[in-house]
Amino acid sequence: MNYPFWDVPLIGSGWIIGLIAIFHVMISHFAVGGGFYLPMAEAKAIREGREDWLRAIRDHARFFIILTGVFGAMSGVGIWFAIGLAHPESTSTLIHNFVFGWAIEWVFFIVELTAAAVYYYGWDTLPRRIHLIVGWIYAFCAWMSLVIINGILTFMLTPGASWLSAAGTGQETAYFWQAFFNPTYFPSLVLRTLVCISMAGVYALITASRLDPLAEPQLKDELVRWSAKWLVPSFILVPICFVWYLASVPESQRALLNLGISTIGQGTFTQVTRAATVVVMTSATILAFVYFSAWRNARHFNLGRALCVLFLAFAATASAEHSREMLRKPFVVGEHMYSNGIRKQEVEKFNREGYLANSVWLKAAAPPVSLRRVAFGDTVEPAVAADLARGELMFRGQCLACHTVDGYRPIARLLQGRDRQSIAAFLKTLHENAPDSPYRSYMPPLVGTPDEIEALTDYLDALINRKVHHGHVAQVHPGNP
Amino acid sequence: MDVSWSPKPDARRPRSLTAAVYTWVDERLGLEELLALARKKTVPDHQYSFWYYWGGLSLFFFFVQVFSGVLLLVYYRPGAEAYESVREITYDIRFGWLIRSAHSWSANLMVLAVFVHMFSVYFMKAYRKPREFGWWSGMALLALTLLFGFSGYLLPMDDLAYFATKVGLEIPAALPLVGTLMTDIVRGGPEVTETTIQRFFALHVVILPLIYIPILAFHLWLVQKHGNALPPSEEAKPESERRSIPFFPDFFSLDLGMWLIALNVLSILASLYPWQLGPQADPLAPAPVGIHPEWYFMSQFQVLKVFGRWFPGAAGEALGISLFTLAIVVWALIPLYDTRSAGGRRAQIATYFGYFALLGMIVFSIWGYLDLK
Amino acid sequence: MPNAPATSPLAEQASTPTDTTRRTFIALGVGALGACYAGLIGYPVYQYLATPARKAAATGTVTQAVLDGADQLPAGSALMFKFGTAPAMLIHHTDGSWVAFGAVCTHLACTVNYEPEQSRIYCACHGGVYDPKTGANVAGPPPKPLTRYYVEVQDGRVLVSKA
Repeated sequence: MNYPFWDVPLIGSGWIIGLIAIFHVMISHFAVGGGFYLPMAEAKAIREGREDWLRAIRDHARFFIILTGVFGAMSGVGIWFAIGLAHPESTSTLIHNFVFGWAIEWVFFIVELTAAAVYYYGWDTLPRRIHLIVGWIYAFCAWMSLVIINGILTFMLTPGASWLSAAGTGQETAYFWQAFFNPTYFPSLVLRTLVCISMAGVYALITASRLDPLAEPQLKDELVRWSAKWLVPSFILVPICFVWYLASVPESQRALLNLGISTIGQGTFTQVTRAATVVVMTSATILAFVYFSAWRNARHFNLGRALCVLFLAFAATASAEHSREMLRKPFVVGEHMYSNGIRKQEVEKFNREGYLANSVWLKAAAPPVSLRRVAFGDTVEPAVAADLARGELMFRGQCLACHTVDGYRPIARLLQGRDRQSIAAFLKTLHENAPDSPYRSYMPPLVGTPDEIEALTDYLDALINRKVHHGHVAQVHPGNP
Repeated sequence: MDVSWSPKPDARRPRSLTAAVYTWVDERLGLEELLALARKKTVPDHQYSFWYYWGGLSLFFFFVQVFSGVLLLVYYRPGAEAYESVREITYDIRFGWLIRSAHSWSANLMVLAVFVHMFSVYFMKAYRKPREFGWWSGMALLALTLLFGFSGYLLPMDDLAYFATKVGLEIPAALPLVGTLMTDIVRGGPEVTETTIQRFFALHVVILPLIYIPILAFHLWLVQKHGNALPPSEEAKPESERRSIPFFPDFFSLDLGMWLIALNVLSILASLYPWQLGPQADPLAPAPVGIHPEWYFMSQFQVLKVFGRWFPGAAGEALGISLFTLAIVVWALIPLYDTRSAGGRRAQIATYFGYFALLGMIVFSIWGYLDLK
Repeated sequence: MPNAPATSPLAEQASTPTDTTRRTFIALGVGALGACYAGLIGYPVYQYLATPARKAAATGTVTQAVLDGADQLPAGSALMFKFGTAPAMLIHHTDGSWVAFGAVCTHLACTVNYEPEQSRIYCACHGGVYDPKTGANVAGPPPKPLTRYYVEVQDGRVLVSKA
């Protein structure tokens, strides 16, 4: 491993975060929405004196506590490991700003877990009224943890003008609340809360699907239909909130969507737009599928169909989170830190003094161990090897955050068919980062001295065309061991 | 739009335009009779019901193939310009990338659905009397589907298509006696050239559909005639414990739901992972590393390779081919062997043979991919 | 949605007033979903089939562009202009010759740039290189040369027209 530049073959380090995060989102949104579902269903059952409902809700509570308490909590910690490995610079920025925020979240999290345990294990022993109150305490704390984490998530897209004005001065934490209640905070909070509510319905449908329609036909009909209703609010309000959200996103990021819309016919530069379209389609399908298979055929709603709904919800959530991440391009912290961990303010310094010279992590003295696919070793002279090694360090530092060699966004295919001159020209385009460059809206500028960029060119040339360029190295580094 | 499935005349509701149009058509075509028939028909409902959907899913992907294929025909030019025309479709024509991507992904999903359908029919023993012809026509459809896949894969004529076709044709070429002769006819010469594209194109868009569609109609007619088969575990239950749902509207709407999900999966794959177009095929260039046939030919390819390695010379390949030809023949004739409707020794052997075949396919495919490195 | 008592699908078909409202609501919903799907499939298909017509419309109507004052263009530099709706470039070479090309890269339709110091026309998107004299594609991914136009230098203006 080459921490902090983590080389994950084929899928890239970003997808390690992505996979864990999508799994976590599927469960954490349930943990919040389910927090409302349980006491509301319980209250309804008590009000109507329905023992069979209470039994079914209790089963659901067990499913709920196992899923959220085990997998939700574990995957949440998993995200910490993954972002620390894949993106140390931005993780550090977030911790420095929001350590207090996370402390608050942790308190709510502990109360939440305790309340969930008391709620489930106290089902038979606690008086009904107290039990219901515990349920509502759980719901409140679960939602509060969303309230906190939403501030940090939205900060990454829109840090807000006042925080940005302090960025890099060491005074950032003075703007904690401005950063926290940033421009996209409220639309995102409402959107996520709505998604939580529909997730509660999706998972409740799983429990309801397992009821035996022959033994308890009435209970099955009622519970399936009541759970299906939980999907309704979000489907009516999400489109409206989405417009609100987009209106709060800075113009430059909206331009990304527009670029996608205007070029979708050609299929280039359109990943955000394509992912967003998929969200619309899968959401519409969930609605249609739940209506026809659950609402109209409640009695025949079996586990297979419930899993279909869950699968569709997964597809919609994954695409939505993916497009939200893509919308942040080329930054990981909006207008502050590029997606490869380079701060916007550092660009000029790095261009002047050198990227490798300023990097805390990438040391030319300790060159990378492996140069995949590059003809290397005994066949080249030490000077060439050192140059290629510097090129690979540039590659690791500036490209690897988003690209892999052969897998996801593969450099080998993207640069396929280019000779050395053409690679150099392309790197020049990235380095200049001209206002009209189509790459500007997606990719960070390439930083470094001309010498470093030459080294990267040599490395990529060796990687793509599998031949080592000798002339240039001997010329630039005479006698360099 | 009227949402109820049975627009019966309802005195309390004013007759809508939809109802009027429906009545007009019904009086002339007898839709109500068809609906009555569909309503009377039932589909068994049990723990293996999930596998009933895969035939319908295969059909859905076939429809997508016809639709997207016709759209591709609008711009595709076989022969010398094949690559250029696919390049235009992918990069110049608006949404051409999406339509080509949908066609390629749907092809793969269709092969997958057909395989799942075949194995589920096999393990539910749905080939037994009176459904033998369903099994055989299904086998024919599977073979044609694979031929569709093979012939279509070459048409873009990029380097992967070219070399995969070249490698893929080694399978029939290894057939004893007729191998070379047959492959030369298919290829239109000793090498894969523009002539080959022209032939594959004719095969892909004219000859195969002409054979496929009548067999498909026959297959669907048989399904309608005999209904869904019960798996042995359900058949063992007394009549009173078996459950079923009406075909219309219940099963039909669920089938549509599955189609909708399939459409979603297809759209996600086609739009987020668009099918790539490699550089133009250059017969003189060295084959790209790790060249291999498509995944659905991988196990056959690997069997051949392994036997060639174990028994050097033509004998090994001939042995490999004979072996899996034999396996296919046995597979096709299984309804004649496993005839008893209750359990028994033959039924058990057939099931084990099924596991053996499935496991063999999976193992050889994985081995094939590992063997590329 | 009101907390309506759960009904079986059969009972639902009885037409009470609330049911009619629900019926309309659901009919609207199903209709909207259907329209959503039809749009998502229909729009790309329409655009796909309409491409040649769109291209013809974009290029067919305009056959000539008049560039006032362009005859003063210094040798060794280029002038970007619109030919119809598409970008185009007029180059005045140092040897005194004039050429004009469509500035749309034949690879993925990015706008190309004239780089006199390198003596080439360059596409920044994917590194395509064209010959600045003939428009021929000389390096990189472009499959075809740039579209070439006729140039007529007149007094006080330059006339660029289709071949």
